Parts: sequence; C-alpha cells; structure tokens
Amino acid sequence: MSIPGLTIIGESINDSVPSTHALFEAHDIDAIVDLAGMQAEGGAAYIDVNIGRRAPAFIAEVVRKIQEHIDIPLSIDTPDPEIAAAGLEAYDPQRAGNQKPILNSISEARLEMFDLTAKQPFIPILLTTESVDASGEGVMNKTAEETYATARTMVSIARERMGHIPNEELILDPGIMPIGTDAEGHFKRLMNTMKLIHADEDLKGTQMSVGLSNFTVMLPSKTADGMFVRSTLESAFLTMAMPLGLRTIIGSVKRKYRILDNDHPALICLQEVLQLEGTAALVRVMRYYS
Amino acid sequence: MQEIIEKIALGVEKGKISKASPYPPEMAGEDGAEEIAAEALRNGIAPDSLMTGCMLGMERIGKDFEEELVFIPNLVLAAEAMNAVMKHLKPFLDSGQVKQKGTFVIGTVAGDLHDIGKNLVAMVIRGSGYKIVDLGVDVSTEKFLEAIKEHPGCFIGMSALLTTTMENMEKSVKAIKEASPETKVLIGGAPVSESFRARCGADFYSPIAQQAVTFLNENLP
Repeated sequence: MSIPGLTIIGESINDSVPSTHALFEAHDIDAIVDLAGMQAEGGAAYIDVNIGRRAPAFIAEVVRKIQEHIDIPLSIDTPDPEIAAAGLEAYDPQRAGNQKPILNSISEARLEMFDLTAKQPFIPILLTTESVDASGEGVMNKTAEETYATARTMVSIARERMGHIPNEELILDPGIMPIGTDAEGHFKRLMNTMKLIHADEDLKGTQMSVGLSNFTVMLPSKTADGMFVRSTLESAFLTMAMPLGLRTIIGSVKRKYRILDNDHPALICLQEVLQLEGTAALVRVMRYYS
Repeated sequence: MQEIIEKIALGVEKGKISKASPYPPEMAGEDGAEEIAAEALRNGIAPDSLMTGCMLGMERIGKDFEEELVFIPNLVLAAEAMNAVMKHLKPFLDSGQVKQKGTFVIGTVAGDLHDIGKNLVAMVIRGSGYKIVDLGVDVSTEKFLEAIKEHPGCFIGMSALLTTTMENMEKSVKAIKEASPETKVLIGGAPVSESFRARCGADFYSPIAQQAVTFLNENLP
C-alpha cells in the first residue's frame, strides 16, 4: 500500500492501453486475468474493466473469468448501457466479499444507467465535468462553479433513482486534465471544484475520484539525471488533493504514490503553477523536469 | 533572406514567443518570433519566407518530440511562437499574397474535452502550410457540417481520446459522409484504430501526426 487511506482502482485493464488492447484483440482472457491478479497483489482495491467498443457478451466473459481467480471487487468502465448491463449482471458480489462493483461512469446525459441498479446494486462514479443544456444537449462545464453545480445535481438524481443511497456509496469525478498542456487553468478549476465539494455539508461523505495518470500524460518519466518526474508530480497532486477529500484514484499499482514533504520541488512546482496563467504555467512545469 | 528564415525557424523551434517571454532562459532579452516577424516585414522581406521559417522550425521541434528529446510543453510553446508569426502574416494570407495549400478543419468530438492530440495535429498541419480552422473541443456534428459549408473543399480532422466518445466520432463521420461524400475525413486519438476507421467510414487514420500531412498533400482538391 502506498498511501494509507488512498483507494486505488487498478487502471491496466483498459482498451486504450495498447498492450491490453492487443490482449483483447487476441482474446487472451488468461493474460487479462493475470493482469487483474498482478494489480490485486500490488494493492488495488478495485480492478477497472474497460473493454472499449466490444460486444456486451465479451465483458460478461471477462468479468466471470476474473472473478474465478480474484476476490476483490471490479469497476465496470463504459458509457454504453448495454455493456454496463452485461458487466453488472455477470458480476457476482459473493466472490468479492459481498462488495458492490463500481460503475464508471454516469453523466447527466446518460441518466438511464442508474436504472441498472435493479440488475445489480453498484457504487456509481458520477461525472461532473459535463451537464445538459435546456435542449438536452451535453455541454462541457467551464468553471469550478458549474462543475460543482453538476456534482450537486448528479447526487440529488442518484438519491432519487437509487433509493436513497448513502453519500458514502457515491463517487464524484471532478475531472483531471494533463498539466503538460494546461495553459487554460484546468488544474486551478479542478482544485477549486474539489474545495467546493469538500466544503458542502450536504455532500459530506461522498467520495471523489480522478484518473491520475492522465495528469502527467506525455511528460517524461525521468529527468536526464534519473529523478522521477511523472510519479513525483502525481504524488504532489495527491498531497494537495487528499486534504480536499480525494480518497480514490484510478491509477497504477506500480507507481510509488506518496505524500510529499512541504519543501519537495514537485509540490512547490504545483503550488506555483496554481498562481500562474497561460504559457507561464507550462514553463514552470518544464523548469521542474529540465 | 536565408538569415530571416533561420531566425524565424529558431524562434519557433525554441518556443521564444516574444522578447518579453522568459523561455528559454538562454534567450532572455533577445527578440522573439513576434519581433523578428514584425521587423522582417517592415524591411520588405517577402512574407512567404516567414512561412518557410515557421515550417522549418515546426519540423525540427516535431522531430525532437518524436525522438523524446523534448516533451509536450515545448510543442505548445513552439506553436505559440508560430502563432505570433502567423498573426503578422494574416493580412497576406487573407489577401491571397501568401498561399496556403488548403483548409483543415479540426475538432475534438462531442462529449470529449481532450485537446492535446487535436492541438498537436493542428500544429503540425498548420506548420506544413495549411490553414487551420480549429473548432475546439466537444464539437457537435452540426458544427462540423456548418464548417464544411463555410470552407468549401476543406478537410475534416476529428480527435477522440476516450473509448466513451468514439461512438460520437462514428456518428459524426457517418453524418458528414452522408451530407458531403467528397469531404475527406481524418480521425485520430488513443483509442482509434485502423479497424475502427474502416467501420465508421473515415478516409484516414494514423497514430503519427506527420503522416496526416502526407495524406493531405496527396489529396488536395
């Protein structure tokens, strides 16, 4: 376990990971099961399962085979209601110590996915980065205030549709964006969104989750002299976000996540980035790894 | 002339946007792409050569990026430096004195906020002499269709980073191909593949931005 109190949803079984995509294409279910086992041993609390755009029957097979060997719960990761239904129906809570699966994720434009709770009770990840406008079209939220408003809306809809589910069984996804191209202040918005959610009494107990690897995508793993770049920046993010209520990430069990000391250069870097705008924020990130 | 082309290329490659930009530190206080372009035009240098300088600079930084000598923030800064030059070229582009090869309309599909891939492709294609119409992120099918009407003969580029939004990409590609069969549609993004391209009916897919340029050059109207 890397950080006490941090729940890791293992990210590796995802169609957008090229090596996993190849396993899916080859229908190599044994290797997929191994990937689940490796993540469970590495400390994942859940195993994410994202099969991309394959047939619903395929996720059912993957879920059953993983559960024959692994006793931790799964996170069914798809926007497709049919794939979600097949994955949830195939899931057997008894094989996971009676724990519910996670459904990743439901947005305001896909509310019908709440009804899948009749097939299999689940813990939903609620997307807060997009909402629907008056004409029913999905729109991306632009400010922390808009994102927070969607979080509140999604929680109240979840309570209606899922029979007064407790806050502890709701996960909000405040949306994380790559820091390496962030000249538009997405990081600032994310931190402010988390602050607003964390301070809201009505949302007390809800969890928050982000896909942490996305934060450092396309940055170098290490500097020329061997200092870790991506993992320290991710750890710096956790150091800043956990006091704001972040308890869950979709991430890698191979990364050594940790809480950094106040004077760690990665932490200082992110704190300074919050004060900068436009390309100056990018230049600050570059200075960290150059 | 050659000297100006090289100066512009260096400014773009290094991401030295203007004299005031703090990056790169070793060029502090020197003129940036902004000032070099303005002065060149004042001195009667042909605007075409500024364009050539941009293309050269983008080609160099693109190569360094592919070889992992530099990373994504450098590309963003290089594009900003190129944009500073292009701003000065705008009147010549508008009047037709400087010709661009064609128009490339690009956007991230509906429901998807990711813009790294889209911006990277837009940068490379812009740096290869095309006019870029960037529709941004979360672009609806209707917006793509409007852009085709507005820019006759344009190419369409679509990006999606989520397996969740590929569905929207497929819908948009199919709608465009139905409304305007002759419009060439290029798609890309981490979850996109050649088999997906074949299924949705797009004309081109590649995981490498530079290959899109080759496709465009071969398919000019």
